[in-house]
Amino acid sequence: MTPTTATHCPYCALQCAMTLTGDAGGVTVAGRDFPTNRGGLCKKGWTSAELLSSPERILEPMLRQPDGSFAVATWDDALDLVAARLAAGRAGHGADSVGVFGGGGLTNEKAYQLGKFARLALGTSRIDYNGRFCMSSAAAAGNRAFGLDRGLPFPVEDLDDASTILILGSNVAQTMPPFIGHLAGARAAGGLIVVDPRRTATARLTENGAGSHLQPTPGSDLVLLLGLINIVITENLADLDYIDRRTVGFDELRRSVGQWWPERVQAQTGVPVRQLRDLARRLAAGDGTYILTGRGVEQHVDGTDTATAAINLSLILGLVGTSHSGYGTLTGQGNGQGGREHGQKCDQLPGYRKITDPAARAHVAGVWGVHPDSIPGAGIPAVELLASMGEPDGIRTLLVHGANVVVSAPNAERVRAGLAALDFLVVCDFFFSETAALADVVLPVTQWAEEDGTMTSLEGRVIRRRTAVAAPAGVRSELWIFQELARRLNAPSSFRTDPAEVFDELCRASAGGPADYSGLSYGLLDTGEPAYWPYPAGSTGTPRLFQERFRHADGRARIHAVRAGVTDAPAQTGGILTLITGRLLEHYQSGAQTRRVPELVLARPEARLQLHPATAAQLGVADGGWVDVTSSRGVVRCRAEVTGDIRHDTVFLPFHFPGEQSANRLTADTTDPVSGMPEFKRTTVRVRALAGGERGTHG
Amino acid sequence: MAEPAPERIVLVGYGPVGARFVEELLPVVRAGLATLTVVGAEAADAYNRVLIADYAVGRAGREALEVTDTAAAVAAGVSIRTGTSVTAISRTRRTVTLGTGAELPWDRLVLATGARANVPTLDGVTRLRRNLMAPPADAAILDSAGAALPRGVVALRDLDDAHTVLGAVRTGGRIVVLGAGVLGMELALAAAKGGAEVCVVYHGEIPMNRNLDRGGGTVLARAARAAGVSMVNHSRAESVLFHVDDDGAARFDALICADGKQIGGDLLVLSCGTGARTELAHLAGLPVSTGILVDESLRSWADPAIHAIGDCAHVAVPAAPGASLARPAGGPTGLIGPGWRQAHRLAADFTARLTGRAPGTASDTTPAELGAPGGLAAQAAAVVMLKAEGVDVVAGGDTAPDPWDSEPAGHSDGCTATPVSVSQWADPEHGRYVKMVTRGGILTGFVCVGMPRTAAELTLLFERGSELPADRSVLLRFDGPDDVPGAGGDAFAPDATVCSCNGVSVGTIADAAAAGNSTVACIAAATRAGTGCGGCKARIGEVLTRFAVPTPS
Repeated sequence: MTPTTATHCPYCALQCAMTLTGDAGGVTVAGRDFPTNRGGLCKKGWTSAELLSSPERILEPMLRQPDGSFAVATWDDALDLVAARLAAGRAGHGADSVGVFGGGGLTNEKAYQLGKFARLALGTSRIDYNGRFCMSSAAAAGNRAFGLDRGLPFPVEDLDDASTILILGSNVAQTMPPFIGHLAGARAAGGLIVVDPRRTATARLTENGAGSHLQPTPGSDLVLLLGLINIVITENLADLDYIDRRTVGFDELRRSVGQWWPERVQAQTGVPVRQLRDLARRLAAGDGTYILTGRGVEQHVDGTDTATAAINLSLILGLVGTSHSGYGTLTGQGNGQGGREHGQKCDQLPGYRKITDPAARAHVAGVWGVHPDSIPGAGIPAVELLASMGEPDGIRTLLVHGANVVVSAPNAERVRAGLAALDFLVVCDFFFSETAALADVVLPVTQWAEEDGTMTSLEGRVIRRRTAVAAPAGVRSELWIFQELARRLNAPSSFRTDPAEVFDELCRASAGGPADYSGLSYGLLDTGEPAYWPYPAGSTGTPRLFQERFRHADGRARIHAVRAGVTDAPAQTGGILTLITGRLLEHYQSGAQTRRVPELVLARPEARLQLHPATAAQLGVADGGWVDVTSSRGVVRCRAEVTGDIRHDTVFLPFHFPGEQSANRLTADTTDPVSGMPEFKRTTVRVRALAGGERGTHG
Repeated sequence: MAEPAPERIVLVGYGPVGARFVEELLPVVRAGLATLTVVGAEAADAYNRVLIADYAVGRAGREALEVTDTAAAVAAGVSIRTGTSVTAISRTRRTVTLGTGAELPWDRLVLATGARANVPTLDGVTRLRRNLMAPPADAAILDSAGAALPRGVVALRDLDDAHTVLGAVRTGGRIVVLGAGVLGMELALAAAKGGAEVCVVYHGEIPMNRNLDRGGGTVLARAARAAGVSMVNHSRAESVLFHVDDDGAARFDALICADGKQIGGDLLVLSCGTGARTELAHLAGLPVSTGILVDESLRSWADPAIHAIGDCAHVAVPAAPGASLARPAGGPTGLIGPGWRQAHRLAADFTARLTGRAPGTASDTTPAELGAPGGLAAQAAAVVMLKAEGVDVVAGGDTAPDPWDSEPAGHSDGCTATPVSVSQWADPEHGRYVKMVTRGGILTGFVCVGMPRTAAELTLLFERGSELPADRSVLLRFDGPDDVPGAGGDAFAPDATVCSCNGVSVGTIADAAAAGNSTVACIAAATRAGTGCGGCKARIGEVLTRFAVPTPS
């Protein structure tokens, strides 16, 4: 009989449960019943196993040759070289000249070990990860307001009973399709409200009486939320009893939103007063109201403040920490939650502890068996870290794990130039991603179906990833690579390779921290019992957070009054428009994986610039015609998709594609002062139709 | 070397614009780079005058008017003196004299004295000649100069006025509003909604005639009547009649118009516009037009150490020496948006100067070569919006041009200005009206009544100076019942999506059906449709029914 393995999808944070059947000869995927996906899978999930046997897979370590080509090497030779270069870089330019860039797709075990490896084996503070482009704003806002950041502080099934769900800047119908099953109840009650400059597949779920769609101009989300708060307060819709019992800071909020009366908000957002008032009243009226934010409102230079405004709205309505309502942020990457808890963030130690907190340092040093002073201090966030490549006192040697920064980071051409300026670049990947293609050494690593580990889903539930098939002979786990490099670098402490042992260590390191896993083990997880963190030893976990108190000393949530800055948007004439970036159903992140699945590529082979028919007519752009999209940082050349589903002042590009279709050639590397989140959703560009003879190289 | 002494900044006026200036200056005050003293005539902390009509009809509470945290400013070291007037500015000694007789020294003086309600010439109401008069020492009579309005007559400007109006609304009284500007119309509509009987009396043919064209004004008047407000146009008020109450005091009884009409009521609200409070500047020898004349950096034309912002300021390019002193263009708008932008701009300039940093917004992602921001922020054209539930009126710029206006002749020197073109949509039966005045595709004025989504989009286009779609009717469809872009198409078209989780179209399902897959489960196995969230299974059934392969009989 063919063996079957119960595991979860390799892609997004919904972590749909799946059953893998087969062996190295061929693996088939089937949906498995689980609360998040109820047996369903999307197109990405169904086709995920195709990558296991992809002909493009890297099967042995690859070393760049003097002529620029790659040649196969033995693991010993490759690791010896990497260790020697790491040691030389540290000796020559200091520990902080060596950088580590992680990913939100790594298992908890790998993310934990990566942070430990950076601090102990490399002695560097310069570690951060691609979650900085993803969850950092919502995480900062959640920590500030609640004292804790767990994306959904409630099980996802709680949404089923809601009568009103407000989704701000998230296209779940394409990014995590099975999730929309949890919106059915709110849709039946006419209470799904989607805020998005595009009429996305998710916005369309509001049609036919299922709810409403608000279509603000890009970058105006914060004003929109301040306006909703203003209406809730002036129309006496706020839950004053809750505010009094459970929060501090309301008076300042009240004063700060006084300037955002509805007509003024209409003028800045393009959302009519009627819709604003209806929405505020609906949010206050429902028994069972959830407010959810996504990258659309978070990926801004004021993303932390925008997420904070959404939290403030939730707090004054009395939603958070109740059994029937709540606020949440929809985590994106597969382990975007666990990946932001265990030490690959520049200012963080395992258990979501602050690296600057002496008690946290002492605890973790105790688990690692080192002196607290040997753990470096806080580093710098991702955009800054990447920008320091090639700069004096910047990064000269870089390790990349589970990230494709040449495609996913803002101002991508600057990142490419920075990588080229490095002394040495090491990339661990399954494929020659656009970043791996620039490396000096590429180390082939295991895929999801070839490894054991844990992931923490968007609802803060820790789940097991299990090995279904053996990895190809020349492929290794990162855990093994860390051990080998640590040994060559004479690192203190121990670097185990068994995921269960690493997890046990992670649990001990997290004990007492905000994200406390100390009551967890593979044995417990394998029983299938739901395990929501914090899960301290002796407890049964925490499906619903904040029921009694928030994680501040006084137990109260912080209402942190935020202000909208003055934005001088440029006049939109002669093809100047606002670019927003986002995702497609068929692709995941930088596309390094999904662009190698034939079925997905067939459905979505290239990036297309969405623009409104009226705008297209003005610019002489035909549907399917070629356009140049230009910002001061770069040019994208692609085909146009003319659609009434987008605002006339806005254009959209998916960011999954490389080269001349790479949306992040256009985006700026300016960041949120609190979270370090780049501005992905308000880029001024100029769109130009190409003449008959001009066209892209891929057409 | 000794630290330089902190700069002494004095702000006169603590309304919403002054309060914004204070807030944005707090960092340099906290840093010890400047001291800030605020002198405000009203006893209350700064409040949001924009919402005073809402407050006056009980639609907003007092707390909703709060716009600033005075306690936080005081904690930061700001000295705030409310209920205090300033009677003189000495430019030579660099001091202001307070009503108490005390003097305050300054290195920089900021005037944010705002505006007062105009009191029209009416027989029965004392009229003041103010321009030559010194401000009174008693802050409480700053505007009335002791000549209080008669009982039953108010000019809606401060909290006391609002309380008077609130009393009339609560008792369902009859309110006569003289003047149909934005504030008059807002008050009238809100009071009518609040249960009062309301009559608006105005000179011209249409309400809001400063902002609206005839079409827009006519549609607004109709909407107001539909909301229960009597609209009495073409009426010039001449005098006020009084009756004597039981307590022996004379009270408002009726307004008498030039044509002999008598309009009786319990309360007369004067809503006849505002005038900038400029006496202090005038007495100090600063140039004054419709407001205190300041340049684009908000500095007095005559004294670079004195600034004016908000309703008392008239921003204009200084006249060249010897040039005509004819009234400069522009002037105070009476709107809060420009005032706040000025406060922000001035505080940013002060901060930059005091910290030695260049001004500018760090978060600005706008590359200069891609188009400059829409002009000097402090001077951006103002958009007027009526705040009234159910009556949507938005207008901006010059709304007078008509679609059929003949083009003005070209200049003799050969300069050919781009002509103005006007697009218009009028549907008075349904209370809808739009006019778009453009030059080179860019809005120079617009009116939008009864179409809120269109109004919102036109506002964005106007404020940014963006190009309109060549087909203007695109902008009219936002408020239509059919505004579901792309929807309304054939649900069974081959490329219509059925399963969004797996991106499966009608065509794919039809092909699978043709290949013999006759059940939802078979279709799922063949195409993955319905294997995500499962929400489309019913629709797969419909598609199957439509495309079922007839069984050969």
